[in-house]
Amino acid sequence: MDSTMPLAASGARTRPDGDRSHIGRITVIALVFALLAAMVLSMTTGASGASLGNFLGALISGSEGADALRDYAVIVNIRLPRMVLGVLIGAGLAVSGLLMQGLFRNPLADPGLVGVSSGAALGAVVIIVLGGTAMAPFTTALGIWSLPAAAFGGGLVTTFVLYRVATRGGQTAIATMLLAGIAIGALAGAFSGVLTYIASENQLRDLTFWGMGSLAGATWIKVLAAGPIIFAALVFAGFLAKGLNAMTLGEATASHLGVPVQRFKRITIVAVAAATGASVAVSGGIGFVGIVVPHLLRLAIGPDHRYLLPASALLGATFLLFCDALSRTVVAPAELPIGIVTAAFGGPFFLWILLHRRSAFAW
Amino acid sequence: MIDIDSVSVKLGTRQILHDVSLSASSGKLTAIIGPNGSGKSTLLKALCRDHAYSGVISIDGRDIAGMSPLEIASLRAVLPQSSNLPFPFTVREVVAMGLTAGRPGVDRRALHHLPEEALNRVDLGGFGGRFYGELSGGEQQRVQLARVLCQVWEPVIDGVPRYLFLDEPVSSLDIKHQLMIMDVAKRFARLGGGVIAVLHDLNLTALYADAILALRDGRVVASGRPEKVLTDAVLEQVFDVPLRVGVAPRAGTRFVLPQSVEMAARASVA
Repeated sequence: MDSTMPLAASGARTRPDGDRSHIGRITVIALVFALLAAMVLSMTTGASGASLGNFLGALISGSEGADALRDYAVIVNIRLPRMVLGVLIGAGLAVSGLLMQGLFRNPLADPGLVGVSSGAALGAVVIIVLGGTAMAPFTTALGIWSLPAAAFGGGLVTTFVLYRVATRGGQTAIATMLLAGIAIGALAGAFSGVLTYIASENQLRDLTFWGMGSLAGATWIKVLAAGPIIFAALVFAGFLAKGLNAMTLGEATASHLGVPVQRFKRITIVAVAAATGASVAVSGGIGFVGIVVPHLLRLAIGPDHRYLLPASALLGATFLLFCDALSRTVVAPAELPIGIVTAAFGGPFFLWILLHRRSAFAW
Repeated sequence: MIDIDSVSVKLGTRQILHDVSLSASSGKLTAIIGPNGSGKSTLLKALCRDHAYSGVISIDGRDIAGMSPLEIASLRAVLPQSSNLPFPFTVREVVAMGLTAGRPGVDRRALHHLPEEALNRVDLGGFGGRFYGELSGGEQQRVQLARVLCQVWEPVIDGVPRYLFLDEPVSSLDIKHQLMIMDVAKRFARLGGGVIAVLHDLNLTALYADAILALRDGRVVASGRPEKVLTDAVLEQVFDVPLRVGVAPRAGTRFVLPQSVEMAARASVA
């Protein structure tokens, strides 16, 4: 407030205490390389012996031997879509978790824990079971997008209801949120149960595979169906970083700082529902990515969303590709549903958070 | 100039404010006083657009109802009663949130050291690397003030004054830091900005306020210069207890002495 503005920084720029932006930047760059490594790992792991070397060699030399053709088929039609889907879903789930934690001002919020995934799953189950009958006009109109669209709708409704129930005057009570999430999840699960009950033999098999959570059925069609939705959600999320930071001070203060709070909340809810819905639609229930990844990163680089958002997307993608590679190799030539692998990491991690950081939460 | 023109606020079915009007000019510290439940904080919340209200509130002639959050954020900053954070931000990161709205026409790098200067101003130099959640309540309140100062660092830009709204800014602080925070606010006003503060402490009000609005039951009891509002009669009407206003002999400032009804009764019996 001196009359002469001290704004023109004089002399050398020093890094002030408590400024962790450099750690954030370095971590994001490191995670780009980690993701690249995971992508290579994903392309070279699998039940068949197809190798990237053969494939690239064939591509360059133009040879059309049987081996080269087979490897081409394995890599382009099986592993590549699976990897792309893994990247998108991993990033989508991690960012959904981060967005929900910011929206609810609560480090324990996660689409899987508070029923959003169940809501999205209900949307998907409706299409799987009733797609040929009651929902036929919907499926004909939307084609390959009907499954992700329905899951998006289910996720949107549950997120909105959860928000309305758990938040009063800009304050979210953690117990209310978790309990409301359990109730909403149970309700959605019950409806899904009813639909499962009336499902046909074939539909039942689809439901079982899909429900366990897996990238195994990845095809280019699925990439096309879910990819644009998740990608759009990620792009929108990128603009929410500053607002999420301000929101940690509470809704009123965020608005005083210049954040258009109502519009901000709407965009956040839609982005969460879109990313979760599209992920659930093509890969079923893959849990814990949204809570493990942001939490680890918060420990490493702090809670500044400007770095936490890109870092979560990158680490989420890396983590899922890693879990997927693991799911393909531990019981090879069979494979585990990836949801089991992420749960095996995520469950203990979640308990660890509860035991070690309890004091950090306002229970 | 902040103009509050016959503002009423209804929360549910309860009428909290009845036709309250106030003109708070820039260059002055305006205090809002009144007992608990008199509507002080509600008035400030209406001013911050946190509550729906009827009537008109304008900043320098412009109705705030039509302004965007970003526009308002460039004109005024708000210090809440208290803030807790769900995530482990450092003190510096919290203070830097005051720059959320940015500053049109100012290079971001030029603002890089503003959080440190703001921390120095609230006597928390060197606290930037500490975690906000590990500070005492009084320290957290000063961090928030530093954040608010970051948002409206210059009290006047190109002849346009900016404003600080403070909601019981010193209620959790010791006397040294009460005075320090009030000094910071007063300085902001002296340099041409406007300050509106909800205050509980009548002696701090007497010491710092240039103008006072006294509320009771959501209605204005008195409004104007301290000499006019800080009188035995007005204060008794506002707070419903006997209070004696005196003038400090040398400094000339007013002070308020509470009178215990019970002790007075006992004294008269004896």
